[in-house]
Amino acid sequence: MDTKMAWRNIWRNRRRTFLTMTAIAFAGALLVFMLSFQFGSYEVMINSAVKIHTGHLQVQAEGYNERKDIRLVVPDPEAVAAVLEKTPGIEAYTFRATTFSLVSSRDRTYGIAVIGIDPKGEARVSTISDIIREGEYFSDDATSQALVGELLARNLHVRPGDELTLLGQGRDGSIAATVVAVKGVYRSGQDEFDRGALQIPLALFQDVFAMGEAVHEVVALCTSLGAVPEAKGTLSAALTRLNENRPLVALDWKELMPGLYQGISIDLISGLIMYVLLIVVVAFSILNTFLMAIFERTREFGVMMAMGTTPGRLTKLLLMESSMITIFGIVGGMIVGGLVTWYFQVDGINLGGDVSEIMREFGISGRLYPQLSLLSLSFGPGAVLIITLLTSLYPALRVRRFRPVEALTYV
Amino acid sequence: MHLQLAWRNIWRNPRRTTIITIAVVVGVWSMLVVGALDRGMIDQMVRNAIATLTGDIQIHHDGYRSDPVIENSIADPKDVHNALARHLPEGSFWTARVRVNAIVSNARYSTGVTLVGIDPESEARVSFIKTAVVDGHYLASDDTTGILVGRALVDKFETKVGHKLVLMSQDTEREIASRAFRITGTFRAELEATERQFVFVNKAAAQEMLKAGNGISEVSLFLPDHETVDMVRDKLKASLPPAYEVETWRELLPIITAYLSIMDSWIFIWYLVVFIAMGFGIVNTMLMAVFERIREFGLLTALGMKPWWIIKGVLLEAFFLLIMGMAVGNAFGFASVFILNRTGIDLSALGAGAEYVGLPRVIYPTVYIQDVITANVVVFVLGLLITIYPAAKASRFTPVEALAHI
Amino acid sequence: MSIVECKDVKKAYRQDHLFVQALGGITVTVARGAFVAIAGPSGSGKTTLLNLIGGLDTADSGRITVDEKTVTSMRQSELAVLRLYKIGFVFQSYNLIPVLSALENVEYVMLLQGVPQRERRERACSILDEVGLKEMYHRRPAELSGGQQQRVAVARAIVSNPSIVLADEPTANLDSKTGKELLQLMEKMNEEREITFIFSTHDQMVMDYARRLIILRDGLVTDDRSRDP
Ligand SMILES: Nc1ncnc2c1ncn2[C@@H]1O[C@H](COP(=O)(O)OP(=O)(O)OP(=O)(O)O)[C@@H](O)[C@H]1O
Ligand SMILES: [Mg+2]
Repeated sequence: MDTKMAWRNIWRNRRRTFLTMTAIAFAGALLVFMLSFQFGSYEVMINSAVKIHTGHLQVQAEGYNERKDIRLVVPDPEAVAAVLEKTPGIEAYTFRATTFSLVSSRDRTYGIAVIGIDPKGEARVSTISDIIREGEYFSDDATSQALVGELLARNLHVRPGDELTLLGQGRDGSIAATVVAVKGVYRSGQDEFDRGALQIPLALFQDVFAMGEAVHEVVALCTSLGAVPEAKGTLSAALTRLNENRPLVALDWKELMPGLYQGISIDLISGLIMYVLLIVVVAFSILNTFLMAIFERTREFGVMMAMGTTPGRLTKLLLMESSMITIFGIVGGMIVGGLVTWYFQVDGINLGGDVSEIMREFGISGRLYPQLSLLSLSFGPGAVLIITLLTSLYPALRVRRFRPVEALTYV
Repeated sequence: MHLQLAWRNIWRNPRRTTIITIAVVVGVWSMLVVGALDRGMIDQMVRNAIATLTGDIQIHHDGYRSDPVIENSIADPKDVHNALARHLPEGSFWTARVRVNAIVSNARYSTGVTLVGIDPESEARVSFIKTAVVDGHYLASDDTTGILVGRALVDKFETKVGHKLVLMSQDTEREIASRAFRITGTFRAELEATERQFVFVNKAAAQEMLKAGNGISEVSLFLPDHETVDMVRDKLKASLPPAYEVETWRELLPIITAYLSIMDSWIFIWYLVVFIAMGFGIVNTMLMAVFERIREFGLLTALGMKPWWIIKGVLLEAFFLLIMGMAVGNAFGFASVFILNRTGIDLSALGAGAEYVGLPRVIYPTVYIQDVITANVVVFVLGLLITIYPAAKASRFTPVEALAHI
Repeated sequence: MSIVECKDVKKAYRQDHLFVQALGGITVTVARGAFVAIAGPSGSGKTTLLNLIGGLDTADSGRITVDEKTVTSMRQSELAVLRLYKIGFVFQSYNLIPVLSALENVEYVMLLQGVPQRERRERACSILDEVGLKEMYHRRPAELSGGQQQRVAVARAIVSNPSIVLADEPTANLDSKTGKELLQLMEKMNEEREITFIFSTHDQMVMDYARRLIILRDGLVTDDRSRDP
């Protein structure tokens, strides 16, 4: 009967209840959409960075990530590969070696990062084989060939077929030099990458830079972002048993790209601060509704108390009423927010010139697709729910201070 | 009389009036503070970028920007000097630089950098570098072997002031030129990327190393009044041969320009969203207020009060609520921005993340008068607009309705 | 045997600078099964006395016992329980919970007492039949006349067989015919169920129904007489 009473009570003033629900729904829907939007862009950012740069997990020699010293190697990559094969949650892996080197074309010389990649493995882990704009990706038995980013190709004045000279220092300190032919030109959309790196086959790299069998990074892709922590744990444990003379470490994408991870956190936090401000404004604007509900009905509460209704029961009734309003608002907000998000999720959002330009800076090109997920659907409305219920606590507890006589004589 | 009546009416229920006023206060406050934070952030980003090396305007040889090599330099800067002498407003500063990609190395490490050859004296007036030196000292004008390096690079190279570095770059004859320098000082910059990217030597040393003669890569200038940027650019452009590119910082920093251009709409959207959130409260509160007095309004109508007067009365009440909320909200908003502006919001603890999203190390929230006006107009005008609904309701209560209402 | 005992009950109201001695030392006992009217001019303290007996308000001094329980020393929560089981209230107006139907209003008391659903329904129906509202189970208060509402209030007050029903001017809002019918109803309940009724009134007709009449003036009992049976 309490439920029935609460239900009927909230509809005593349809207009007011409806407006309150709409206010809550508005906040809920907005948050669903915004969070889906943010999560969607984070996912794209992470995926594109992971696919182009680091993979989800890497095995490196300890200290390599900070110093990028050519001497800090993974001496026996096949042993690590054997471990990865047995690690659950790993989808694919590949080997890479990297060093800084001078690259000269006929006209130009630049200092850039030269990356040795395993043609077969790389194609499974990174997107590079899919983003070749000119020329072709490496064949499996590629030898003296190179892939260059679009901007680097422009800077060096080269096209597929042109020759490049690499000049650097081998792992043993010797001079390392070779000539490669440009096989393909790629565009990742991330300027820094397209301007600052050049890929050659791993075998050639190992040969030229005196690496032997060693590599610098064993790059692994997990089945999903969520599978990373567990895979990392398993991997770390297995690596300690490998018994290399210099310990190997497993690093995840957050450690490999701290800027990306923290940047996302900052964006999320600053978003959350704004959402909290918004919810507080909503809370104050609906507080009146909840408060009025008790002052208008003071005499009624007096009668109920005279009948023996305890203050606790009145509190319960009021909380039930505000929860009903809140829950209806929240559910409405989730539905509207979900539908709007879903609509854009299918079609994508075109944010227009200036915004796209900024997004491109973060590795998001073209349309943006918000990602409706359980988290984005529930987090915002959850926060609204909590703050709204806290708001309704004040009137609901205020009613405990009512004394029957005063309530009965209240005008 | 009307005013007095409306004022007394809103204080018939002080609790309700207080609560809705608080809603408006929180709303207006958050509008101003978030707006000021965003403005302060972008202003700081612009200032940093301009001070780092951009300046207000840059002049290049027209091939340089797409292919920044020594070959594409301004071989004889005389034309530029003349144009600058004629068109620069009083109080401007300018400096000429050699700026090319290079490789820096020591015994253990090597990496790609941007080599900047500067004229220490004029550079000090245009860019950040002189004040950014933290260890050692700034370049002397006659020091042709000194080099300034960023702190991050020094750390990475495990080196320090007094030690040697070798620079390599392609000279005008397309040969690899190399030369040893001694670190005279290290600098800190707003962004770690800047510390890793740039090394500074004397312009004459760079020209000699690259066999560039008198050639320079760019001229960067700093105007006393930033509003005149476009005008100065046009004048310089007109007086220089077409082989020169003259660009303002807006053209040189497309990302920041993009941020700037979406700022206005972004802030406006935030204002609207906050307003909608409190708009529900305003409408609800006013509805309650008029329904409570339904008998009163019914009676007034019965007495022949014109509907318009009733509408006016209700609007006046909303007017007071809004004005109070706005006054206090603005006061709090200004106060918090003032305090935050004094202390600045230090984001350096956020480290790499702040750098990744391009945030400066310290944000000084800045109130833009245009934002304050927009925020208040939004709240006031839309606030009154939505009150028309309860006001119209009140004007249409018939005496019968009024009496039927308990 | 007495059901209500008041011993030198005093109550004053202080509001701002105003000090009103509403009750100046009341001593009365009411026997079980009595049908008592409290009369007196406006402001004489009738409502105050009923509120104190019902535990809605607390006395400044003196002692009140209801059914051998000392009301004056009880805490709020104990008073709520006392009101729930021992006391029924009927007020002048605004008696019913507006969102509940007649039947539900009656059931509500039993709900608070934890009476099972089915029994609740049966008892509520039979009591409504008894007060003559057979056709009106599902009407909301707003759809009932004032007299009908007061009948529902009486039904609600007695449905859980309290020891005592306190009614503050139950007929004041009714015309004399309806008021009379309500009094007859209360009298019937008093006789059939042996529930004590104490009601306040201004109305001579109502006073005539009472078997005992207590007159208050300025917070003191000035007359107390019983009608011969
Ligand atoms: N809450 C209060 N605050 C201050 N004074 C009060 C309060 N309630 C009652 N009084 C005063 O106490 C006295 C007794 O009031 P009470 O309501 O008991 O009278 P009453 O006999 O019921 O009158 P009526 O016939 O008009 O209902 C009156 O003088 C009244 O003004
Ligand atoms: Mg009275």
